[in-house]
Amino acid sequence: MDNVATREQWKTVFCELAPGLVLFARQWVRSSADAEDIVQDAFVKFWRRHHKIDNRALLYATVRSTALDLIRRDSRRARREIEASADADQTIAPEFYTDDESQRALVSALERLPNEQREVLVMKIWNELTFAEIAQALEISQNTAASRYRYALTALKKDLQPQ
Amino acid sequence: MNDFGDIESELKKLRPARPSADLLQRIENAIVDLSAEKRIIRPHQFRLHWLSFGASLAAAAVVLLFLRFDFHTNMTPQNIASQTPAATKPVPTTFIPAGATQVVYHMRDEGLYYPADSEEPVRRVRSRTHETLQWRNPTTGASLQVSYPAERVEFIPMSGQ
Repeated sequence: MDNVATREQWKTVFCELAPGLVLFARQWVRSSADAEDIVQDAFVKFWRRHHKIDNRALLYATVRSTALDLIRRDSRRARREIEASADADQTIAPEFYTDDESQRALVSALERLPNEQREVLVMKIWNELTFAEIAQALEISQNTAASRYRYALTALKKDLQPQ
Repeated sequence: MNDFGDIESELKKLRPARPSADLLQRIENAIVDLSAEKRIIRPHQFRLHWLSFGASLAAAAVVLLFLRFDFHTNMTPQNIASQTPAATKPVPTTFIPAGATQVVYHMRDEGLYYPADSEEPVRRVRSRTHETLQWRNPTTGASLQVSYPAERVEFIPMSGQ
């Protein structure tokens, strides 16, 4: 595959996927700048290895492994992220544009989800991956991916119910 | 998933923040740079060459050891007799392999690795071992033992996961 010839296609795909990819990467790092660095490294790595442009599961797996490698490599960063996560009682919150109070409540509820549920939700809702693709990216079974998604939605519904 | 239709539609209304404007430009620049250096040998290729070189060196050392024993074994009885006193009985120096042990004392999963010209990533696992080879001379009871440290890098395909 000639990557130079398809650079325009790659740009189009990246523009389409970028917000979801950065949101996905932000689960492991607190700042959006770090998340963008991860996405850049992963996307370039993916491009360099001549992967098929439509292999989204592999692209997300690459983002995930790049993020985990970064955290492993930089112990100071890892400690900082762990401390930040501990302070927030859960892992890093995704960034969204919110229009009203109900959306802000939904974002807060998302922040309270366990990481393993939220990453499935992020891949499914904002990146529109199938359960098969999610399972491949996270190295879990499709049933597990579907269960985590269901648990996440159940938890959100419960969280948003009026007291 | 009908029970969750309402919450799903609420979630879909949330839009993730756009990444910074220069991210696309940074990625494009990186891709252009990589295209330019397409023919440059990358560091990971050096690493693999060094590993191959080390393995070859170890193999060559073992072969040399065997050659040394073969040399003694192939000596004719006349040669042996001419080098030893007539009254002494020639002692066969045939060593036969008696055992081999491999102790893995460190193993590390180094994560995903992308081999050149491959569609799929593989998992790179590095292990450090201590290997011992033993030979024994059944006639004299003499034994010989060679121990050496070794490092291996295995690439495990991720297919089916």
